[in-house]
Amino acid sequence: MLRTTIAGLRARKLRLLLTSLAIALGVGFIAGTFVLTDTLQSGFTEKFGAAADRIDVAVLPAPSEKDEPAFLSQAVLERIRAVGGVAEAQGLVRGTSALIGKDGKAAGDYPTSGVSVVQGPLSRTSIVSGSAPKTATQAVLDKNTAKTRGFRVGDSIAVLDQENVRHEFTLVGLFDPGLDQELAYTGAVGYVTETAREMTGQKGFREIDVAAAEGVSQEEARAAVVKAVGAGYEVKTGRQYADDMIKANGADSQFLTMGLLLFGLVAMFVAALVIYNTFNILVAQRTREMALLRCIGATRGQVFGSVVLESVVVGLLSSLLGLLIGYGMGAGAMVLLRATGTPLPEATATLTPFTVALAVAVGLLVTVGAALLPARSATRVAPIAALRTQVEEHTFRAGVVRVVLAALFLLAGAAVTGVGVSGPPGQAALVTVMVGGTLVFFGVLILGPVIVRPLGAFVGWLPGRLFGVPGRLALDNSGRNPRRSATTTVALTVGVTLMTLISVLTGTLRLTYSHKLDEQFPVDYMVQSQTRESNLPRALAEGLRTRPELTSVVALRQTDAEVGAKGEPYQTGTFTAAAGFAPAFTSGSVGALRPGTVAVADYVAKDLKVKVGDRLPVRTKKAGRVELTVVGVFDAEKTNLTEVTVPAADFDSYFGAVGDSRILVNAKEGLSSDVTRKVVEAAAQPYPTAKVASSTEIRSGFDEALDMSVMIITGLLGLAVLISLLGIANTLSLSVHERTRESALLRALGLTRSQLRAMLSVEALILGLIGALVGVVLGITFGWAAARTATSDVVFTVPVPQVLAFVALSGLAGVLAAVLPARKAARASVVDALAAG
Amino acid sequence: MTITGEVGAGHAHRGTAAAVVARGLTKVYGQGDAAVEALRGVDVSFASGAFTAIMGPSGSGKSTLMHCLAGLDTVTHGQVHIGEVELTGLDDKRLTLLRRERIGFIFQAFNLLPTLTAEQNIRLPLEIAGRQADQVLFDRVVETVGLRDRLGHRPAELSGGQQQRVAVARALISKPRVIFADEPTGNLDSRSGAEVLSFLRTSVRELNQTIVMVTHDPVAASYADRVIFLRDGLLVSELFQPTPQSVLDTLMKLEA
Ligand SMILES: Nc1ncnc2c1ncn2[C@@H]1O[C@H](COP(=O)(O)OP(=O)(O)OP(=O)(O)O)[C@@H](O)[C@H]1O
Ligand SMILES: [Mg+2]
Repeated sequence: MLRTTIAGLRARKLRLLLTSLAIALGVGFIAGTFVLTDTLQSGFTEKFGAAADRIDVAVLPAPSEKDEPAFLSQAVLERIRAVGGVAEAQGLVRGTSALIGKDGKAAGDYPTSGVSVVQGPLSRTSIVSGSAPKTATQAVLDKNTAKTRGFRVGDSIAVLDQENVRHEFTLVGLFDPGLDQELAYTGAVGYVTETAREMTGQKGFREIDVAAAEGVSQEEARAAVVKAVGAGYEVKTGRQYADDMIKANGADSQFLTMGLLLFGLVAMFVAALVIYNTFNILVAQRTREMALLRCIGATRGQVFGSVVLESVVVGLLSSLLGLLIGYGMGAGAMVLLRATGTPLPEATATLTPFTVALAVAVGLLVTVGAALLPARSATRVAPIAALRTQVEEHTFRAGVVRVVLAALFLLAGAAVTGVGVSGPPGQAALVTVMVGGTLVFFGVLILGPVIVRPLGAFVGWLPGRLFGVPGRLALDNSGRNPRRSATTTVALTVGVTLMTLISVLTGTLRLTYSHKLDEQFPVDYMVQSQTRESNLPRALAEGLRTRPELTSVVALRQTDAEVGAKGEPYQTGTFTAAAGFAPAFTSGSVGALRPGTVAVADYVAKDLKVKVGDRLPVRTKKAGRVELTVVGVFDAEKTNLTEVTVPAADFDSYFGAVGDSRILVNAKEGLSSDVTRKVVEAAAQPYPTAKVASSTEIRSGFDEALDMSVMIITGLLGLAVLISLLGIANTLSLSVHERTRESALLRALGLTRSQLRAMLSVEALILGLIGALVGVVLGITFGWAAARTATSDVVFTVPVPQVLAFVALSGLAGVLAAVLPARKAARASVVDALAAG
Repeated sequence: MTITGEVGAGHAHRGTAAAVVARGLTKVYGQGDAAVEALRGVDVSFASGAFTAIMGPSGSGKSTLMHCLAGLDTVTHGQVHIGEVELTGLDDKRLTLLRRERIGFIFQAFNLLPTLTAEQNIRLPLEIAGRQADQVLFDRVVETVGLRDRLGHRPAELSGGQQQRVAVARALISKPRVIFADEPTGNLDSRSGAEVLSFLRTSVRELNQTIVMVTHDPVAASYADRVIFLRDGLLVSELFQPTPQSVLDTLMKLEA
C-alpha cells in the first residue's frame, strides 16, 4: 500500500507542489514571524550583553506605585562614589529639552529629549562624528535629528529649558541613539551631566552606573553598593541589568509575535480549506483507482491509510518548504524594517529548533487534519465503481440538514450580532459582534454549495454574454460541482471579508469622529504646546482675540485634581467662552455653568455615579476641598472639554493662573486660508513651543497614520488571499485534468485554443467574483457592526473605490490563477486527449 | 474482389466529386528506435454523399488515418484535401475553423458535454461557429434520430444508444462536408447499434451526407456503401456493397 501511495505521489509531482505551496505559505508566515522575533531577540541580547560588560553595578530607584518617575539624588551618587571597590559611578539624566529649529520654532511634534553624555569607562553613547561634550556650553545631537534639521558639527544650536528659556550651545559632535526607541523617535540633545540636569529640570538621576575597581567582582561590588545606599533602591549587577533589559524587550517582541500570528492563523485556515478541497477532488478523481484497489482486496482501512499517508507526505514537504520561505520572510522583514528606519540590532536571521518543530507540527497537523474527511469519503468508494465506464457527474442536492444547519448558524449569528450592535458601545459589544460574525461566516460556509450556483449566474451574467459560447460554458462549469466551487471561493472570501471589514471600519470611524467634532465646533486651527507639561502663556490667546480675521478663539486649560468622594484623579479644566462654541450636553446645559458648579463627561458621571443636581467634591490647590453642583453632563466624544469642567473664573481661584493647554481658533468665513494661517502663525511666533496646526493637517496626520495601519493589515491579509488564489489555480488545474476529454471534444468540434483558454479564464473570473462578492457583503455588514460597537451615532460609509478595487483585484487574480491551467488545457493535443481514459 | 495497390481513386460511387482525398499519407509516431510507422503511404479518396467504412486488425492504423483525415493530427508526409482545401500546412487556428465549418465527429464514448442538455449538445457546433441553426433541418434531424421527447434531458439521463443518437444529430446539424465516426457503435448492444447505423445510412441517402466510419464489426460495416481495409499502415483491399459475410471473408483473408 505504501508503495502504491508513493508511486502515485511521484506521478503527480507538479500537482503535489502546487498543493504544498498553499500550506507552505501559511507555515512560512508563522515560521517567518518567529525567525523575525528570534533574530531581534538575539540582536538585543548581544547588544545588551555588551553593555553588561562595561557596567558592573546599576542602581535604580525602587519601582513606585505612582506614575511619576522616581529619582536618585546627588547624595546617593556621592555615597556610591565613596564605596570601596567602586572605581567610578555616573548618574544618568533623561528628560525633555526642546531643540529650536532653524525656523525659530521648537523642532518636531514632540520636544527632543535631553540626556547626559557620560565619558570614560561607563560611556554608553556612541559618538559618530566630532566629540562628546566637555563643557557646559557644548552639546551633541543625535545624527538623525541633525540631518533632518540641517545642523552640522560646529554650528550653534538653541534649546529651551523647562521654563522655556533659550540656551545656546556649540554643537561639538553627533551620536547614534542605537536601539533606544524613545530617543530615536523624539531626537535627543546630549550634554555633560550637570547641564543635562539643568536643561531637563530633572530632580535627580534615572539610573546610576557603577564600574568596579580592578579585581572586584560584580557581586562584591553590588553587595558593597547595597550596604552603602540602604533600602529603597534596586541594585543589580551588570549581568542582571542586561538580562532584565533583554526580558523587557522580549515582552515587546512577544506582542509583535502575537499580532503577526493572528494573521498567520487566518492564512493557515485558508490553507486548510485549500487542502481540504484538493484532497476532496483528488479522491473524487481517483474513485476508479480506489475501487480497483478495493476490487483486488484492499480493505477500507488501507484505502483510508493511503490517503492519510499522502497527506502526511504533503504536510511534511510543505512544512519544510514553509520553513525555507519563513526564513526568507524573516530575513526580508529585517531588511525592510531597517530600510524604513526602525532602530534594530544587527543580527543574522536565526532559526531555532522551536521554530522548526512548530512549523513542522503546524504544517503536518493542518494538512492531515484537512485530509481526514476526504480520506473518509475515499473509504466509501464501492468496489463496483471500478466497473463503471463513465465517471458520474457529481450531482448535488441541497440537503435539508444542510439548509437547516446553515439557517441555524445564520440566525444565531444575526441574533448575536444584533445584541452586540444594539447594546452600548464597548469591548464586550465588539467581542459579541465578532462571535456573531464567526457564526454567520460558518453559516455561509455550510450554505456555500447551495448559493454558489445562483451567485455564479449573477456575477457571470455579463461575462457569459460577452464571451459567447466559451463564456456560457464557463458559467455552466463554475456551477457544475457546487461543493468544490464553494470551498474554493470561500477560501478567497475569508481574505476579502477581512480586508473589506477593515476598510469599512476605518472609513466609518474616521468620518464619524470628524462629523462629531465638526458638529460641535468646526475648528480651523489649533494651537498647542509641544510639551504636554508646559502650557502656553495666556497672552497668546489674548493676542489672537484681537485679530479681526478670526471670529472666535477658545482657550482650554487643564490640570489634574482629585475628584469625588474617593478622590480619584481626573483632568479638571475650563474653557474661555467664545461665539459659536456651544458644547452639546446630554443633560443640563452649558449655560448653567455658573460659579460653584461643574460639568462632567458622560463616562465620569457614570464612574462617580453623579447626575445633574448632585454635589461633587473636588480637591483644589488654592481653595482646598470644594463642593460643586453638577449642572451638566456632556458626550466626551463630541466636545473638546476636559472631563471635569468648571467655569473659567472658578478655575483660576481653585488652581491659579494656569496657562492654556490648547487654543481653538475659528477664522472668518470667506478669507483664504493662506491669510488666516499667517495671522495665527504670526501670533504664535514669539512662543517657540506653540505649534499651529490646521484642522485639515490634524485630520490628514490622523488619516496618514490610519492609512498606514490599514495598508499594513491589508498587506498581511494579502497572504491569505494569495493562498486562496493557489486554491483556485489548484481546483482549476484539477478540473482541467478531469475534463481532458471534454476539452478535446470541444476542440474537435471547432473551439479554438484561445476560446478554450478564455473558457477557463472566465470560469476563474466567476469563481473569484463569487468569493469577492460574498466577502464584500460580509465585510461591509460586519464593518458596520464593528463600528457600532466602537462609538455611538455612527456615520456609516463604504469606501467604494477601495471595495470595488478588492472585487476587481479578486476577479483579476482569479484570471491570473487560471493562466497556467488554461495553457495546459489549450496545449494538449486533441488526439492524445481523446485517447485519455 | 480484392484489389491491391491504389484503390478508390476514380471509383466515386455516388455523387460526383470526392469529399476527402489523401495522397501518400505517412504517419510516424516517436523518433529513432522508438519510431512507429502507423501509416505507410496511404492513397485514398472518399466520394461525396457516400458511406465508407474503414476496417482492419487492431493496430493497423484506422484511428490514425481518421485523425489525419480530420485534421486532428498532423501528418508526417503526404497531403489531405477536404473538398478543395488542403489540410497539410494549415496552422492550428485554421484547422480548428475548418473542423468547425466542414467536419462532424462521432466518437465511441464521451461524445457529449455533461453540463448541456441534448438539444444544447446538438446545437453546440453551430453556436461555436456563431451560426443559426436551420430550424427545418433541426426538426428533420431530430425526427430522423427520434429524439423529440428527449431534447431537455442531460446526457446522464440518456441511455448509451440515445447518447450516440444525440451525437449523430449533432454531427448532422451543421451539414458538414464529411462526418468521421470512430467506432460509433463500439459501446452499444446490437439493437441500439443497428438503430444508430440505420440513422447514419438514412442521412446519407436523404441528406446526401458523406460519412467515414471506423469499425471492427462486419455487421456495422455492411451498412456502408464501401469498405476499405487497412493492414500495417497500408491500404490493402476494398469492397463495394458489402454484406457481413463478404466483409468477414475479406478480414479472414487479411489475417491469414
Ligand atoms: N501516440 C502514439 N504514439 C506512438 N504510437 C502510436 C500512437 N498512437 C498510435 N500509435 C501506434 O500506431 C499504430 C496504429 O494505431 P491506431 O490507433 O491507428 O490503430 P487502430 O487501427 O485504431 O487500432 P484499434 O483497432 O485497436 O483501435 C499502432 O501500432 C499504435 O501502437
Ligand atoms: Mg482505434
